[in-house]
This record gives sequence, C-alpha cells and structure tokens, in this order.
Amino acid sequence: MSKAMAKRVHEALTDENLQSALSGFNAPRRRRVIPDFDVLSKEIRRVKEESIANLPQLVKQFKAAATASGAVVYEAKDAEDANAYVLKLAQERAVKHIVKSKSMLTEEIELREYLENADIEVTETDVGEWIIQLAKEKPAHITGPAIHKTLGQVTELFSKATGEQLEANPQVLLDAARQILRRAYIEADMGISGVNIAIAETGTIVIVTNEGNGVITTTLPPIYVAVVGYEKLVSSFEDANAILKLLSRSTMGMKTTVYVSYITGPSQSTAIPGRAVLGGQGPTEVHIVLVDNGRLQMRESPEFREALYCIKCGPCLGVCPVFGSLAGQTYGYIYQGGIGAIMTAFHQGLAEGKDVASLCMGCLACREVCPARIDIPRLVSALKAKAVAEEGLSTKGKVMRSVLKQPKRMDRLMRIASHLQGPFVDNDGMIRRLPYPLNSLTEIISLPALAKSPLPDRMKAYSAPKEGTRPRVAFYAGCIANYAYPDLGEDVMRVLREYGAEPYYPLEQACCGAPAHFSGDVETMISLAKLNIAALEEEEPDYIVTVCAGCAMMLKNEYPRLLAAEPGWSKRAQALSDKIRDFSQLILQLTPAAESKPSRDIKVTYHDPCHLRRGMGIYGEPRQLLEREGFELVELGNSEVCCGFGGEIVLDYPELSNSVLKRKLDNIEATGVDTVVTSCLPCILQIRGGLDKRKGPNCNIKVIHMAELLAKDEHSIGLDL
Amino acid sequence: MAMTTSELIEQFKTEATNTGAGAVVYEAKDAQDAKDYVLRLAQEKNVQHVVKSRSTLSQEIGLRAHLEAAGVQVVETDLEEWIAQLAGEKEGRATNKSIEQIAALISQATGKRLEATPQVLLNAARDALRPLYINADMGISEADLAIAETGTSVTLSNEGNERLVALLPCIHVTLIDREKLVPTLDDATAKLKPLSRELTGRKMPSYVTHITGKNTTGDIRGAFRARAQGPEEEHIVLVITAASKS
Repeated sequence: MSKAMAKRVHEALTDENLQSALSGFNAPRRRRVIPDFDVLSKEIRRVKEESIANLPQLVKQFKAAATASGAVVYEAKDAEDANAYVLKLAQERAVKHIVKSKSMLTEEIELREYLENADIEVTETDVGEWIIQLAKEKPAHITGPAIHKTLGQVTELFSKATGEQLEANPQVLLDAARQILRRAYIEADMGISGVNIAIAETGTIVIVTNEGNGVITTTLPPIYVAVVGYEKLVSSFEDANAILKLLSRSTMGMKTTVYVSYITGPSQSTAIPGRAVLGGQGPTEVHIVLVDNGRLQMRESPEFREALYCIKCGPCLGVCPVFGSLAGQTYGYIYQGGIGAIMTAFHQGLAEGKDVASLCMGCLACREVCPARIDIPRLVSALKAKAVAEEGLSTKGKVMRSVLKQPKRMDRLMRIASHLQGPFVDNDGMIRRLPYPLNSLTEIISLPALAKSPLPDRMKAYSAPKEGTRPRVAFYAGCIANYAYPDLGEDVMRVLREYGAEPYYPLEQACCGAPAHFSGDVETMISLAKLNIAALEEEEPDYIVTVCAGCAMMLKNEYPRLLAAEPGWSKRAQALSDKIRDFSQLILQLTPAAESKPSRDIKVTYHDPCHLRRGMGIYGEPRQLLEREGFELVELGNSEVCCGFGGEIVLDYPELSNSVLKRKLDNIEATGVDTVVTSCLPCILQIRGGLDKRKGPNCNIKVIHMAELLAKDEHSIGLDL
Repeated sequence: MAMTTSELIEQFKTEATNTGAGAVVYEAKDAQDAKDYVLRLAQEKNVQHVVKSRSTLSQEIGLRAHLEAAGVQVVETDLEEWIAQLAGEKEGRATNKSIEQIAALISQATGKRLEATPQVLLNAARDALRPLYINADMGISEADLAIAETGTSVTLSNEGNERLVALLPCIHVTLIDREKLVPTLDDATAKLKPLSRELTGRKMPSYVTHITGKNTTGDIRGAFRARAQGPEEEHIVLVITAASKS
C-alpha cells in the first residue's frame, strides 16, 4: 500500500458527491440471475483457454485475413510503439481532428493524451468517456467510465461545454451532447475505437455499444484505426458468439447490446465499374493496431495467464464491496478491482499492481460472477506472493513473520498483551481506545479484551480423545477464539459432546496462517500449514471442526494448494482438507434424523461469512440448523456481502473497512431483529465492534456465533443472551 | 422442435419491443399495409427527407414510389442505386453504365466537372451524400436477417451506407421480410458466410451490423431509455412478401 493510495482512499470516502453517486450501487438487491450462466460461462472459458493457448497461430491468421480484406495490421510491442504508430499515421494524413469511441486499452496506453500533446484534437464520443474527458479524469469503471458523477456534476460539465445553462435532465443533457458530438463526427479526419473481439478466420473486429457512437465513429471518418489487445483474438464467429452471449447479459442484464458491429477491412464499392474501390461511404483506410504492452508476458506466466481470459464486462466490480465504497479512480491506475491488480502489474508495473491488490478484501464475490470463471482472488494472492518473492517482505511483514512462524512466541506475546491491556479495558471487557498505531482501528470498532485465561489453558484436560465409538472430532479454534473468545471454545466442546461427538483440542495447533496469506508470505504459510497438519492429524480424527470461516478456508482450500508441490505433504493436506467441517455443517451431519424443535417465537438474522458461503459453499446448513432449532429466520439484506474486516484491510485501510461495515450495520438494523447469528470470528469481532461504536455499550443487538446460540439453548429456556 | 414463422414473429416482436429502449414493431398484413404504415409515420412526423439503403422488399412493394408520390423526397444511398436514381431509373431498375456515364451523372448532380476515375467519383459521391444523411428526417433500410431470440435486425454491406441510414436520421425504419427470421444468434451466424457470398461476393463483407431496440445509455444517472446518439424512434415493419407463405 502506498501513501498515495491511502490518500486517495481517504479522499474518496470523504467525497460526498462520489458517495452519493455510489449509494444506489450498494443498495440491497437480489442478484441478477442469468439463465444458463453455468453452461455459457463454461463455453467462454473453453474459448478463452484455447484462444490464448493458440495465440501465435491466431495472430498469423488474423493478420493474413485482415490484410487480404484491405486493412493494414501493425503489431505494437508497447504503449510507446502503439501511440507512435497512430501519431505518425495521423501526421502523414494531415489529421487535425479525431473522434474516438470507448477503449480501456487506449486509456491504458494514454493514446488520447499522446495525440493531444501533438496538437491533434481528440473528442471522446462515448458519453461516459466524454464526461470524463471534460472533467479531465480517468475512467471510474471498466464499462461505465462516469458512474462516479452525479446528475448535477454532469449538468455542470455539459453546460460549460455548450456555453448554456442546461436543465438537469438526462434527455436534455444527452440531446446537448449529441449535437456537439455529431459535429465532431462530421468534421473528424480519423476515427479510433477499441475492439471487444477480434476474429482470426476473417480478420474481423467486433464492437459492441448501446449509444451508437461506435457505429458512427467507425463509419464516417475517412480513416479508421482499431486498437486491439492481443487477448481479444478468437478463432471463429462461433467462438465470438460464446462471448457475445454473456457479455452484455453480464454487464447490463440485457441479452445483447443495441449495436454489434462486425468490421472487415475498409468500406468498398463495386458501383463504379472496373474493380472494387476502397472507400465511398465509409473509411477508405483501416488500420488495426495489435497491442502487447505486457499481454504476451502474462500469457507466458502459467499463474497469471488466466487474467487474459477477462472479457471486460464489469460485474466483478458491481459486487465488490471495495469498489462500492471507492469507485474506480481511487485505484489510481486504469484497471480496477482484483482483476485490475493483475492487469496493472503487467501493463504498468509490479509495484503499481501490488498497490491495487492491497485494496482487496478477499471476500470472493468477484469470482462468483465472472463469465470466464477467472479465479480472481487466487490471482490477487499470487500477485501478493510474487511481490514478496521479488521484493522481500515489508517491515510489517517481517515482524508478522517473526511472530506467526513461532507459535510459542506468539502465545507468549498474546499473554503479555493480556497483562498490559489493563488501562485500556473498560468495565464491560471491551477496549474502546488504543494508542497509536492501533488508534485508527479502535476508532471504527471496539475490540474484546484478550482473555486472562486463553482457551489452550482451559483445554489441557481435553487434548486427546477418549477411546470409544463416537466420532472423533478435533477442534481447531483459531487465534480469535483462543485469545479473545475462549468461552465460545468451551461452548463448542460442550455442544459437540451433547450432540454425540468425542471432541478434543490438539494443543500443538497454531495460527492458521491467514495473516500471512493476506500479505503474500508463502514461506510462513507453508511452515504453519505443516505444523497444523501434523498437530491435527496426530490422533486420527474423523472430522476437524472449525468455528472461524477464515481459518476453515485456509485449512480446507489453501493448505492443499500450498503443498501441492510436495507429494507427501500434499496427500496429508488433502486428507486433512477432506475432514474439515464447519460447526453448523458438523452438527447437522451428526444428527441427521433430529426432529425440529417447536417454534420459540424468536427472530434471528444470519450474516453469511464470505469464506464460508463462497469459500466453502456453506450457506444452507446454518439456516437449516437455525430453523430446526425453532428460530424464525429473518433474511438479512445483502447477507452475503462482506462485513468489511477483509484480512489486512481493517488495519491498512480502517476507513474503508468502516465504509463497508456501515452498510452491513444499516442492513442489520433494517431487519428490526436484535440477534445476529454468524459463523466466523473476524466477522463477530467486526460487527460487534461496529455496533458498539454505533449504538454504545448498551446496544440491544447481539451478535453471536452459532455455537453460542446452541450452547445457551441447552441451558436456558428462553434466549437470554 | 423447430419454431414456426408465427412463433418466430411473436418472439421477435416481444424481444425487439422490450429490450431496453425498445423499438416499435408493426406486423404488416400485406404490401399495401406496409407502404401505408411507413407513409402514415412519415406524415405524422412531418418527414420531408428520407435516405434509403438498398432493399428488395421496398422495391417489391414499391415503397419509394409511394412516398415520392406523396411529396416525400427519398434519396438512395447505395451507390449503384443512387446513380440509377440520378439517371431517373426506377427503384431496383439500375442499368449497367460506363464510368463516363457515371461521371456525367455525378458531375451533373454535384455541379462539378469530375474526372472519370473511380476514386474521384467515389469521393464526390460521399461528399454529396453525407449531408443528406445528417439532414434526413427518416432512414429506411432492410434487414438481411433477423434474430428472434433477441429481436435483432442484421444487415450486411460493403459500403456501410445502411449504417449511416440507421444511425443519423431522426427516425429509423427497418423493413424485414418475415421469412428472414431465424431463431438464434448461432443460426444467424451459420447463415452469415453463405449470405455474404450471395450479397457481396466476399467471404465476409466490410460490415455486418446488428441492431436491437433503440439506442440508449446508462452513462448519465436516470438516462435509461433516453435517446443517446442514434435515432429518436426505431420502427420495424414485418412484411409478408408475395412469395412467402402466411
């Protein structure tokens, strides 16, 4: 994270206009369901994998076909190369005015600025792009460049451009824009556009738009230049269809954009006898600039090649809680979101990419909506790990490593902290104000005091399972349960026993490594993985129960991935992974025939932890369990959206964490319910801590873990939490 | 199970009307009905200048003559048709001309003395036609194919004039022969290459253009369904030709 990024984040969060423009973005809504998404996305994935694998072949084929159709194809290795080509062409043809339709690639290489510096007038014709051109800003979103602008701001910009005070009415503004842009189209000597898909078999480029500017820009001016990233190439029209079928559904929920243009070479006419003549009504010259700028390097990397499958549709940003708080310009480079981090790393530089990656909360929302099935969260982790491998750990990372890698040292430090925390702990056991550098954290959430008697101390008598016929269950508690919520740990042991298991607590368990995961410290993660696998497998449990979704996901998904290269460990990691059970999941599994309890007339709501719902696919079980236990479940609006804790985000960007937390709290309050149940400890920390700040120590809304709910149920008639 | 023409029409109508800022779809009973619809529309909207791209349907039903008879000026924008129009020939009755004859016709139309070379004549034609698109009240084109599942009209051309006809005037009318409806995008794509050879003689024409509904944008808050850069109105007229079954 750079100082510049921290500053931008702060400015974005305190920008009233921006926050107002984003408010609709984040409102609770039902996620758009795209029919046949699975089938269609599988097809896109296949097309992209094959196309990128066969790229050299496709380039050759495309060049030959496009050239045969009368176009000129130029392969540019980087931004400078591409820009210089276009400028040279413009100068040779005495081009004075260019009209441009939307292209993220041209933003990436800064083509417009390059041409303007050479005194060529360039008008953006996509209304969103024209807005940001007038505002002298970069795009705020991959497909909606001006989503950060309020109606008032656009009115002001257009009024200035037209010289008249316009009414703040969308149609009035669009009519004014159209008049100006039309004049530009007619005057222009050259049109430039981006391309959505390039079809190798015929040398055809495909452009999708809704406004119509894409059609006019590519037809009216006498010269047309298409700027295309190599990753846009596919083999055939059928492959192009695979992308088209989901592209606009994914971006806008519409089956197709209003206009789809397939352009193959210049305009030509046979009306004049002799031979076909180029030009006439459309461009006489067509130039297609294929741009590398890091794409080929991305292709060479087995880890990051997947990022080239991106079809630039945008819903990953639509579901991203970070994007919903900051919008695109805060990211500081051209591409936004998790996928943007990878693109930035390869098109701009690793340091810049790492900067963008630092904003990722790891909530996994993006992966679910990606039509190309890109594992964006994995790419972000890989990027962080690459940065650590190449540049070494930051100071903070080094400190963290020295603590995490030595479980005994960590334990000692936690105990020391529990002795030193006294002055900061209020009578009710909450810490509401910490000194620098943790003060910014306690400004947004109140923290629990560290327990005087942490869970490991209480579990000495339960460190090994008893012999018997009951399922043997190893309890993996995680750091937050161990040091902040040990009572919860005891509840888990008791409830599991009551539900027919033989639970035990392996004393050698250590931190799951999640903090190292967030900072890309693979060495520490592997070290902890091996430690934990050995500790947990030792007594040959049937299951390993977890109460923290973050820990669970590490053990279940990350350990096998981390150890894949070491055959012995890989097998052990997979064996461990297969035994991981979330608490709710295990309770249901232990008691499949249990009857539903009678209704208690008590309403609860449930917050879906990111790592449980999306990380492990578990969201039905907790709800099933709640209903079986006789509780009335009131669904939380946007229950599946992140609480904002986000790994390191709560420490690195507390304001951002708070912005996301605020929406969660608003949604909780909107249910009117006073009990929030969840299955993840950072979530409990975050939500409880946020409610304490918002509503004070006597807040009536309780946030509890499923295990606590069941434990208390066993020992009280009503629900006295 | 294959869809019948009626089913395709129903689906096409629903999709074209309901997608975003939708089009108006009119199912004409017959040739006269189609002509009357377009003329009525032109009269209601005070249309005086029409630009038109090549259309066998229009030629078959005599649309241009019908409009001209009512005092509406119609300019052909397909170069061959435009030249024929300059020569006083009827719609679809273009005769072969030598380059000298063409030079003479265009020179007369533009008031310039033009050299009988292809590039010069092409440029002169472009300069003459360009303002006409921009000042036209209505553009009329014909779809070479239509896709029922999305309500999309598809045109193929080498010149690209039908793109200007569809985008620049205030009202756009698309004529569609009902028999040219296909169920899906994949079906349309399968027909593309044979159709391209048939209509343009090339493996792929310079332009294939899909149009669905009416131009719009989401870039300004509250703008959904507002007119962006294209026409204010989109009308689609589904026509039964003499040759087609009902």
